[in-house]
Amino acid sequence: MLEKADAPRRWDTLERSYRARIERGAAFADGKIVRRDETERFLEAVIEPGDRVCIEGNNQKHADFLAAALSKTSVEAIHDLHIVQSNIALPPHLDVFERGTARRLDFCYAGPQGLRMARLVAEGKIEVGAIHTYLELYSRYFCDLTPHVSFVAADAADADGNLYTGPNTEDTPAIVEATAFKSGVLIAQVNRIVDKVPRVDVPGDWVSFVVEAPKPHYIEPIFTRDPAVITEVQVLMAMMVIRGIYEKYGVTRLNHGIGFDTAAIELILPTYAEDLGLKGKICRYMSVNPCPTLIPAIESGFVESIHCAGSELGMEAYTAARSDVFFIGRDGSMRSNRIFCQLAGHYSDLFIGSTLQIDLEGNSSTATLSRITGFGGAPNFGSESRARRHGSEAWLKAGREQRLSGEMPRGRKLVVQIVETFGDGMSPTFVERLDAWELQKTFDMPLPPVMVYGDDLTHLVTEEGIANLLLCDTMEERAQAIRGVAGYTPVGMKRDREMVARLREKGAVQYAEDLGVDKRLATRDLLAARSIKDLVAWSGGLYDPPSRFRNW
Amino acid sequence: MRVARHSFYEATARRRVDGLLDQNSFREFCGPAARIVSPHLPALGMPVAFDDGVVVGEGTIDGRKVLIAAQEGGFMGGAVGEVHGAKITGLLERAADVKPEAVVLLLDTGGVRLHEANAGLVAMGEIQRAALSARHAGVPVIVAIGGKNGCYGGMSIVARSCDWIIASEEGRLSISGPEVIETVEGIEEFDAQDRALVWRTMGAKHRRLIGEIDALVADDMGAFRSAILNFVGRPRPLDLDALEAEHAMLSRRLERFWDCADGRDVWARLGINDPAAVPALDADSFNGLVGALEGGRS
Repeated sequence: MLEKADAPRRWDTLERSYRARIERGAAFADGKIVRRDETERFLEAVIEPGDRVCIEGNNQKHADFLAAALSKTSVEAIHDLHIVQSNIALPPHLDVFERGTARRLDFCYAGPQGLRMARLVAEGKIEVGAIHTYLELYSRYFCDLTPHVSFVAADAADADGNLYTGPNTEDTPAIVEATAFKSGVLIAQVNRIVDKVPRVDVPGDWVSFVVEAPKPHYIEPIFTRDPAVITEVQVLMAMMVIRGIYEKYGVTRLNHGIGFDTAAIELILPTYAEDLGLKGKICRYMSVNPCPTLIPAIESGFVESIHCAGSELGMEAYTAARSDVFFIGRDGSMRSNRIFCQLAGHYSDLFIGSTLQIDLEGNSSTATLSRITGFGGAPNFGSESRARRHGSEAWLKAGREQRLSGEMPRGRKLVVQIVETFGDGMSPTFVERLDAWELQKTFDMPLPPVMVYGDDLTHLVTEEGIANLLLCDTMEERAQAIRGVAGYTPVGMKRDREMVARLREKGAVQYAEDLGVDKRLATRDLLAARSIKDLVAWSGGLYDPPSRFRNW
Repeated sequence: MRVARHSFYEATARRRVDGLLDQNSFREFCGPAARIVSPHLPALGMPVAFDDGVVVGEGTIDGRKVLIAAQEGGFMGGAVGEVHGAKITGLLERAADVKPEAVVLLLDTGGVRLHEANAGLVAMGEIQRAALSARHAGVPVIVAIGGKNGCYGGMSIVARSCDWIIASEEGRLSISGPEVIETVEGIEEFDAQDRALVWRTMGAKHRRLIGEIDALVADDMGAFRSAILNFVGRPRPLDLDALEAEHAMLSRRLERFWDCADGRDVWARLGINDPAAVPALDADSFNGLVGALEGGRS
């Protein structure tokens, strides 16, 4: 028999909690505008112990003022928070754990704070729920990790709370949507309060409070690669990628990683690829941040359209002046969005990026033993898009090559890793067993932290050549194809010469000469820009690099 | 295959010599095969270079006979040790004897090689004396700066004792380096990470505008070659009048600019309408600006 409850269940507890918080917070605000010097007491009024709190911390843009304020609040008032935040980048992000304001953490990427985070985890100050990819964590904002309170960063706000993010929109839409529509308190840190925002990126009625920060939010130029330090080996690998993959499959839609290897590819499009007659045939649509090294490829007519996850410092005027290429608001500045960029990249024809370690199954990892770094966006970009249904030349051609499949014809996304056989400090990139296994034990993770799984990988490019894993019939062949391009590393030295020769015959291993790449041409002379200054010249003076990259 | 340009900045010392001189005209003295290496570095457990980081020899440029030295910035930052210094000194002393049409010094250096301490310091004095002897004998000494290390320390003093200085915008000329100034005077005085500030203070454009170098060229081998040719066979007077004129110029400069906190303030006072735009100008536009200023002065 059903038991009848004494009181009817209430279905609006979150809503009533929201109203109570707003009422408490209003004591420290004029309308929606929080009085800056009362920010800490304001936070103590609106945040409750045990809340899930999201501090916007992207690749680049950070709600740094609010993060620092949270780390100064009273531990009696606010404690045991559950932080759900994509990027742990600034010291206050970890201060809140060190002092007990927060206890539990779900995140994506730790970057420069990785070492300290590892220590705090070991001391029991941080309980890590899980390390996610970007799309995974955003998805959980709409599932079981919806924030009670979120801090976001924007360029400007008006008195009604309408927000203008400028070119660096990044994670903001995901955080805002999840928070505002589940009775969460949304607090925006802005660089300035204005009468009218240049464009409304977030409608004011979604925003609970606004704080004008004493200085503009912190932005890190993490996508700027100085062409001056690109090596001839990287030029050679770039030539092999262009001939052996882009030209071969006719790759028009793609996502580039942000290392020097992919910067080298971008910089020889106007020279090497142009001479091969590939303009209009490769690299037409990209999902990537506005990396300055893309400027020559855009200016010479290779890259026609780019959607960006975020912006890049110094590229504001350039992107604004190229509205045919970038996504631009009516106010004239770029609009970025990490979710949509990730999705666009996921359903494109190719991902190419670098990594630190690769094993014989082709699993790769950027994890190193002493620190927790996390994933970011590479696993989403660098995975087979199994739900894809539309065809394209590159996707269908790769699908036809795939050996380990059944009768049903399928397409295949090209997932490429580009690495030198030896990395920093001459440590071999190729290993029998990833450090990720040790890391799993040390930090008690459910699985070894793998960036791109071997069964997602299709091609491996080194200075030795290209391993095409699609053409391998067995796991043994796959391992030998990887050894075949692993050069003089211990893994490479253990190759079975006969088997590698057979793999070379069927194209599963290709060296420069098999690809029609003349190694003698692999010099820095091929780079369309050899310095940051050259990039400025290509941009017609529109690119304004941060001072640290200049030598003029 | 398309080649944007032949960069002087990126070239090694040997490639710079090859790029500037007439083809196959270079004959090296004390080359790497002779293995004349630093006697001090092995004692410190440090590797040596078979040419001790400097290439010296003779050749022709557009058929005109020159002696040339090129510092290799990739070896110990082009720093001057005992052997390195002796090779440059010997070259300059030879110039006084054989009287070529010029001595060309391609400098790319942080100054004295501190590992060799006194020997490096003594070398610096010897180079300076030999350069002045060559000039006294009527041989012009031409300095070209355009490498990653710029020209710092004692070698910057040597450079300013020569007849002519040519530099690309990437080149820098100063006694103390940015990090040294920051360490000694504090980050408020000079932020070595602020690269634009470094170039506004020590970069070739600023040095050209305040009259310490004689030609600014693009980072291009051909541009350096033409600029050097322009000074071959043209010694500057080295006498009391010239020295006094130089001192008078320095006094005037101090009087005119002593209160300027930034290169931009100096440029504004020189009559440049848009000083903020100066760093972005390419070599041709910049030289146009210099020409206009000089025209305005006379």
